[in-house]
Amino acid sequence: MNRYLKLVNFEFNRFVKIYVVLLAITLITQIIGVILKSREYVANANEAIYQEQLSTSEFLSQYGTMSFDTIVRSVWFLGPIALCAGAVAFYIFLIWYRDWFGKNTFIYRLLMLPTARLNVFLAKGTTILLVTLGFIGFQLIILPIETTILKWIVPKDFRVDMGVHEIIGAIPELHLIFPQSFIEFVLSYGAGMMVVFVLFTAILLERSFRWKGILMGVAYGVVALFIMLSPLLVQDFVVDGYFYISEMVLLEVLVGCIVIALSIWFSNYLLKRKIRV
Amino acid sequence: MKVDFNKRDPVYVQVVRHFKEQIAKGMLEPGQEIPSRRELANQLKINPNTAQRAYKEMEGQGLIYTERNLPSKITKDEKVLGSVREELIVEAVDSFIASIRPIDVSVEEVLDLVKEKYEQEKK
Amino acid sequence: MIEVKELIKKFGRKKVLDGVSFTANKGEITCLIGINGVGKTTILNAIMALTPIHGGEILIDGKAIHKDSYEKITFIPDAITMLPQMRIADAMEFMADFYESWNQERATEMLRFFKLKETERISSLSKGNTAKVNLLLGLALDVDYVLMDEPFSGIDMFSREQIADVFTSHLIEDRGVIITTHEIHDIEHLIDKAILLDNGTVLKAFNTEDLRESEGKSVTDVMREVYQG
Repeated sequence: MNRYLKLVNFEFNRFVKIYVVLLAITLITQIIGVILKSREYVANANEAIYQEQLSTSEFLSQYGTMSFDTIVRSVWFLGPIALCAGAVAFYIFLIWYRDWFGKNTFIYRLLMLPTARLNVFLAKGTTILLVTLGFIGFQLIILPIETTILKWIVPKDFRVDMGVHEIIGAIPELHLIFPQSFIEFVLSYGAGMMVVFVLFTAILLERSFRWKGILMGVAYGVVALFIMLSPLLVQDFVVDGYFYISEMVLLEVLVGCIVIALSIWFSNYLLKRKIRV
Repeated sequence: MKVDFNKRDPVYVQVVRHFKEQIAKGMLEPGQEIPSRRELANQLKINPNTAQRAYKEMEGQGLIYTERNLPSKITKDEKVLGSVREELIVEAVDSFIASIRPIDVSVEEVLDLVKEKYEQEKK
Repeated sequence: MIEVKELIKKFGRKKVLDGVSFTANKGEITCLIGINGVGKTTILNAIMALTPIHGGEILIDGKAIHKDSYEKITFIPDAITMLPQMRIADAMEFMADFYESWNQERATEMLRFFKLKETERISSLSKGNTAKVNLLLGLALDVDYVLMDEPFSGIDMFSREQIADVFTSHLIEDRGVIITTHEIHDIEHLIDKAILLDNGTVLKAFNTEDLRESEGKSVTDVMREVYQG
């Protein structure tokens, strides 16, 4: 346990520089977006009111009010989120492969630590989870700052203020990363971790068997997918809609747990018996 | 201390010989403390096991002695010390003879040459 | 004692090790000798469970390797096993964090002996100094067995001499050491036992002093006989 926590700390520190850079990019890009979008709106309003001689209410009925969801839908806001998501996806692979590549093969050290090798696996998984949660947390913290900037630039009569909850609610696609309830949180992050563990297992298969391992890794992914789909298949083709939706959710959670357990068990086996430096 | 070891004789034998030479030359005096096996290994750049074996051999031959937990010392036994000198001389002469014998040469001729060279080198 | 029994290792269909057996005792330096590619490194990897084996058995003090064994046996590969961006001090801290057997006193002593600065980054070290740090990280562990892969290859003469000095010091004394080399020349005097490997098998294993004593042969002599005869 102790060494597991130390490993988590160590793995996290290895990412921390890139992490800070990503957070800074997110903050700066989104704030630039808020300023540009708000000013653009104010400039439009000025032009319409002073040059085209529109009244405030006429302008509002023609162009609508300014609210934060205009910004949320812009590339200034979604771009950095996509960048961070991409970075996490990339890092799922990098977190393993960088230990094998380069002159300094750190994997020797990791595999020779006086602790269960599974701890290395779990620490890397935990790091991915922490990094993701950190991004979400950071986004939630900077949202109020961004809405405040909007308030400074756009006068009260021209805007509709939104709370953090409403902002996130504005784009359903973001629900997956910004869960609206605890259950949603557990479900989406559980599913996320499951995907991470399946990918880790596939990576370890490749690292253990190299070329053949790639095929095995893909096969493992297919098997995991099949297990995940099995309740749906059973529902559609075998019992013909016998289960309620809530029961289906429960079944999915169950098979999800099975896939996670299977991945951990299999990875443990690979790390102990099949891995190569 | 720097010793050039050859690769074919056991290292421990070479170490023992080295000590004998030092004793014969008077570089090591009777009763003088000698390095511990660890120090010796480090000084001569040899394996500590070899140093250990060399000391065991020397102890067996009575060249060194150990009192209780004190460091080992060179023997004070005159007889042993005398025999070391003799042994080295005999060994050197033996190897000389072995290399000179194949050349067909009389003892007298060799001895004259030896005397001449020996005197020359002293000057 | 490290016992390697009938070790078999395949890469694809090729048998790299085909029934390799030998033992390495505590307090002795055992040297695996063979040309490059003969499987010396693979043997060390197999002992440390860093690569799967396809037959045979490896025991350390009578037991198969398990997680706690890494406090008793350590491996110093030919490349350093720390992150390049780490300073020497960070690397030592990492070792101290994860190994109970880490002996900081000894590490400090070796730093001084090798004239290394704690604040130097691993990526900025010369080849010789990298090898020394690598050695330090392994030897500062209070372990019974140390495996070293080609500790003398590819570094400058003075570093070689310094590293050879380590072999005759208390840093090695009383431990069981296995080193690999393709070039025995410099270290003939240092080793207790030589294991000559070729074609995936042990051609000859002998105690060097015994052989000098009984047959008057150097390790190089034996190698010539075994490999060319």
